[in-house]
Amino acid sequence: MAFPAQVEALMQKGWLWQGQVAPPQQTKQQFISSGWPELDEQLGGGWLQGSINELQIQQPFVGELALLIPVLQRVQAATLWLNPPQQPYAPGLSYQQVDLAQQVVVQEADPKLALWAAEQALLSDSVQLLLMWHPHLSAVQVRRLQQAAHAQQKLAFVITPWQSSEEARAYVNRLQLSRTEQLQVRLLKRRFGWPLPPFPCSVDKLLPRRRRIV
Amino acid sequence: MNAWLYLHFPHLLLDYQQALQPPEAAVVPTALIQTRARQQQVVQANLAALQQGIRLGMADVLASTMCPQLQLRPYQEAQEHRVLTQLAQVLYQDIGHLVLTPPHGLICEVRSMVQLHRGFHGVVQRLHQRLQQWPLRYLLSSGYSPLAAQLLGWAGCPVVSEHATEVKQALWRLPIECSGLPAEQIAKLRDVGLVTVGALLQRPRAELGERFGGALLHYLAALTGELIPPQSPYHPPDRFDEKIELVAEAQSWPQVMFPLKRLLQQVEGFLESHQWSTRGLLIRAHHRDGSTTQIKVRLARPTWQQGELLQLSQLHLARQQLTQPVLALSVRVLQPEPRQAVATSLIAQPATKTDELTGLIGRLQARLGEHKVQQLHTAMDWRPEYQGQLQPWQATAGQPQVTQRMPRLRRPYWLLAQAQPILRQQWQLQWGPERIVSGWWQADTIQRDYYIAVDRQYRQGWIYHCSDGWFLHGWFS
Repeated sequence: MAFPAQVEALMQKGWLWQGQVAPPQQTKQQFISSGWPELDEQLGGGWLQGSINELQIQQPFVGELALLIPVLQRVQAATLWLNPPQQPYAPGLSYQQVDLAQQVVVQEADPKLALWAAEQALLSDSVQLLLMWHPHLSAVQVRRLQQAAHAQQKLAFVITPWQSSEEARAYVNRLQLSRTEQLQVRLLKRRFGWPLPPFPCSVDKLLPRRRRIV
Repeated sequence: MNAWLYLHFPHLLLDYQQALQPPEAAVVPTALIQTRARQQQVVQANLAALQQGIRLGMADVLASTMCPQLQLRPYQEAQEHRVLTQLAQVLYQDIGHLVLTPPHGLICEVRSMVQLHRGFHGVVQRLHQRLQQWPLRYLLSSGYSPLAAQLLGWAGCPVVSEHATEVKQALWRLPIECSGLPAEQIAKLRDVGLVTVGALLQRPRAELGERFGGALLHYLAALTGELIPPQSPYHPPDRFDEKIELVAEAQSWPQVMFPLKRLLQQVEGFLESHQWSTRGLLIRAHHRDGSTTQIKVRLARPTWQQGELLQLSQLHLARQQLTQPVLALSVRVLQPEPRQAVATSLIAQPATKTDELTGLIGRLQARLGEHKVQQLHTAMDWRPEYQGQLQPWQATAGQPQVTQRMPRLRRPYWLLAQAQPILRQQWQLQWGPERIVSGWWQADTIQRDYYIAVDRQYRQGWIYHCSDGWFLHGWFS
């Protein structure tokens, strides 16, 4: 790497931030591998422990659960599913070695109570992972959840439709999922780098193989 | 050795009523009055009233003239007795042999407790600790007989000591008016110059008996502990259903939190004394017209700790609207059950985790409703909608995994609660068919051919064909 001397000097002092490299003091932070090497690489190592992440989906069932299955398999403590769009199906999940006894499903139509439940789950030591379906969270709500997740070192995902506004939110990572032949992931925001245009992610490995019956 | 302790609560009912109110209320001078000798007299007064110069036995007119802001309430004997019983229930956690001496005293037998609480002072300390939970004014006195302890308590000069001699000295100094004898008896004794209890005890028994009758001899025998009058020790009841009358009407739930806390404290005492835990409480708020608002508090796991009970009760109460003012509050313990030893494992971590999980579930269920918190349930059935279901969460989550006996098959991660009719031409079949024919033994027979198919947005669905047409039943996603 050859930089001009002045730039080199700035780097020595640590005054220059390089978009692609995780800052040294941050690398010690614990990452949970997302299970997808191509995604891990872009996220700086995986999902950050103690973070809230947003998955914007073009349509429901586009592949968002397949993306999260490796995390579900890995988590030792309980997982809270808050307002999933349909019933999570036990035989399908147990096929992927997800521990059924650790899954708690909460359906609450009142948005205020739903957020209360989310916060309770993040504050409880027994829950490690929160999956929350919500049409639109305000900036204040996201910040509050992020603070709870960060303080308790929990991992949380908010699954929501594509958001039209570009308002800032306190999410650590914001992903936009769409599907052509493969699942396409677009990084709207990430902790250690610039936003990225869509790239394919091989989540179809955890889905039935696609072929054509002619 | 002094084998008896007497607990004297001179202002029991008033103190108890104040304990049910927020602490600010204690600043107002308050007194209880009772009709005695055709006169309304002050029988109990709080600290604020005593500081203003109110004395017990004062006529109510005089008292309210001296202190215009004094609040007067009638004394109710039945209520005080109920309070005393509740107190006995609390103390029963520490003392095995308790005798109620209405209106406001309790006798405790110490000798059998000395071993348990490490000595006489251990017992006394234990009692003090237990009574600290209650803002009650009390006197604790020891004695070599129940009567001796009682006399010292009544006279207001308590002696707490292990040694009989100290009690004896204090007792001998007591004036004859404090002997607890009938008034005419006292007058007679005074007439012959016996002005202290000590003087009475010094005289030869036989002569005293000749002159003052057998009743006095019985009294002396009880005082010296030679004869202990028959007692009916307190036994805790088998069920808990206690009611508290509020001093003022409560318009909202936060106003009844103080009484509720007290009641739950008693619930803990009750459950502790039986070594029980409970799975539910019934809280009733009584209204003026005799109707009640009932709130059933169901618990995800059996418990006996008041902190947990209070937290869950609060969440339950917050869900219920209070339409009328509340006059009284009662709590009943539903489904008490013997405590079960928590399965202890060598590795403590997972046990506490599940414990906390049930705690979280309990809170969620209390606030949101039981049916809204669900778990994944599997059953031995080939019909997809029976094989995996969502069910309300129950504490017995450690059920055996049935799926292990079912062949592991590729199944979607989502199942639609109701299969959706679809247009076949919008789906491209990818895998199948898998025919499922089952359920002939129930009315719900199915005969379906399942396929994995892709829709126009490249999403994988689980669709089936049956005699009614094509349906979408699940999503792989």
